[in-house]
Amino acid sequence: MKLLALGVDHHSAPQPVREAIAFDGSRRREGLEALKGRFPGVEFAILSTCNRVEVYAAGDPSTIPQVGDLTQFLAEFHGVDLGVFATHLVDYHDEEAIEHLFRVASSIESLVIGEGQIQGQVREAYEAAREAEAVGPILHEVFQQSARVGKRVREATGMDRGRLSIASVAVDVARRVFDRFDDKAVLVIGAGKMAELTLRHLAPLRPGRILVTNRSPERAQEAARAWGGRALPFEELESALVEADVVVSTTASAEPIVSFATYSRVLKARRYRHSLILDIAVPRDFDPRINDLETVTLYSVDDLQAQADANRSERLRAVEAASAIVQEETASCADAIRHRHLAGSILRQLGDYSDAVRSRELDRLFASRPHLSEDDRKAIAQTLHRFQNQLLHHPRSALRSATGAADGHGRSLVDAVRHLFGLGQSEARDDR
Amino acid sequence: MLDRLSVLCFAGTYGLALAAELARLVARAPIRWHLTLGLTLLGWLVHSVFLGNLAWREGQLPITSAFHSLLVLAWILVAIDLYLSVSAPKPATVGAFVLPMVLALLGAAVAMPPEARADWTRLGGWETVWGTAHGVLLLLGAVSTCVAFASGLMYLAQANRLKRKRPLRVGIALPSLEQSERWNRAAITLAFPLLTAGLAIGVILNATSRREGAAVLDWWDPKVISAALLWVVFAVLLHVRYRPEWRGKAVMLLTALAFAFLLFTLLGVDLLLPTSHGIARGLEVTP
Repeated sequence: MKLLALGVDHHSAPQPVREAIAFDGSRRREGLEALKGRFPGVEFAILSTCNRVEVYAAGDPSTIPQVGDLTQFLAEFHGVDLGVFATHLVDYHDEEAIEHLFRVASSIESLVIGEGQIQGQVREAYEAAREAEAVGPILHEVFQQSARVGKRVREATGMDRGRLSIASVAVDVARRVFDRFDDKAVLVIGAGKMAELTLRHLAPLRPGRILVTNRSPERAQEAARAWGGRALPFEELESALVEADVVVSTTASAEPIVSFATYSRVLKARRYRHSLILDIAVPRDFDPRINDLETVTLYSVDDLQAQADANRSERLRAVEAASAIVQEETASCADAIRHRHLAGSILRQLGDYSDAVRSRELDRLFASRPHLSEDDRKAIAQTLHRFQNQLLHHPRSALRSATGAADGHGRSLVDAVRHLFGLGQSEARDDR
Repeated sequence: MLDRLSVLCFAGTYGLALAAELARLVARAPIRWHLTLGLTLLGWLVHSVFLGNLAWREGQLPITSAFHSLLVLAWILVAIDLYLSVSAPKPATVGAFVLPMVLALLGAAVAMPPEARADWTRLGGWETVWGTAHGVLLLLGAVSTCVAFASGLMYLAQANRLKRKRPLRVGIALPSLEQSERWNRAAITLAFPLLTAGLAIGVILNATSRREGAAVLDWWDPKVISAALLWVVFAVLLHVRYRPEWRGKAVMLLTALAFAFLLFTLLGVDLLLPTSHGIARGLEVTP
């Protein structure tokens, strides 16, 4: 049994290189068909995302392509010169390949550590290979296990928790202040890209009302139309603040547009209801002392960035624990594959060995009894064949069940059959 | 004595549930939430069986002694903890705030002197009815106050985290400011009429007994004075609660003060000061 993973990712290759050998859409199916045709008897799967392009191959050591063969295939299939990508390729063999796939599925190798999209992409790669009938028992096992390992890593380390962008952290903060948003008003001051991004993140919370104000009434109208909100003149900012429970401020003003005294007045008019101010303007739009007011939560762009950084650090800290889980699972998966391979091999050898003994004994019998008619010979051969099948029925069933169980019992059974029938000494040693 | 030892069974389970809840601070595992809930539920079921047996044995609600009342109080709080844990819109560590209180109440129950009782059933007639109403109302008022206190603590912890820009994902999961404020508001609004009615019935019972020439509480008894102060604190709390400018931390701190007063009135007076509350009404008819 041999396993090979070959490809490029965001660590090893720039985007143009990744794009040059990507298997987008129907190209993946074509790629799998081409691989099957070129390397018969080998299992294949192709994982192709924006950040990585990897070909997984598994099979017998005598048939599995070498790194050079696969590199050549990639160049020919994509019509790309070898020099464009060959130096960026990274290859993993056997257990390394399993560990790499597990790390990828756990998003340890992702550009954004802990992101959840990769799990679906690995699943897609497996499904595509399965539909193309390109996967066999080895890749089936490895890809199935990768989904489980990815889930286990996420659950055990919480690597997918904690948002990483300023806009998404703003949502996290909002959910710690308010419980529901359908009765809340969101006020956007300014109409820049950052405001749009923050609103897009706040949209799933379904705020009750969206108000937009800007020094330019036309831009305010335009933004209000785009977001399904209501435009207000900039001169009415104070009354808009009274109505707003969540404020997203992104103006380019050089001075704060809301002073401590102003917001104190606003708060009184709001009857001291909770408010959240996301001041993502640089320089600030709101006087930082407003955060000292009771029932007001003020987050500046630096505060949000610090939260995002803290979340990123937490994810990085989780990588160590995640890697330990991946290593443990890799060893277990490789062990299971080796065991299955060995059990399958012993099963085959048992059949070959008993067939050989039966043929030898029949030849000896027929040679010593030349007067036996053709019908007698046929009857004796059939009887012996049935005898052989009945005798081996239980050992074969037991071995078949042992192929799926890499536990102590399964191993003992395979060892017992091997010793009892004197099978596969050399091959078994090779596989260990 | 055996009853007091039995308390250890469910108190121990609540202790384990609290440990599972606080384990979030050092390790994350999806099973932790289920484990906490499972242990709390297990403890609560044992607690229920214990109280059920007590009620069956005595043929009445188990609120005739401080020991029993505290057990019932803790039992209701755990039920509320379970409800809030399951019904909160996002996972929130309610148990981290409620279970310590429950354990403290169980500890106090075990420490209470056995003579601290108010067995109204022995008095007979309308006094039994009103005496029971007095006990039940005060007990429910205490439950509401405990919930208000726990939600106040949750609010203060969340507000502190947001004001100081602490990492949002580190530490225990807290409900939103809006959610804990809503719980606190509802609990205070409920606690005040319950306590008022409970205390008023107590006063009326005492005044009536005085007219009949039976043994009564002196109006200067520490229990009476502390109860009057408790009512004043709650009246102030309710007033402040509806003043918008006091919203937030002030209400939560005042809730903590009210909770402290309640503890002192319910437990501290019996443990620390000479009072004839309960003993007077219970012992006079004890054969």
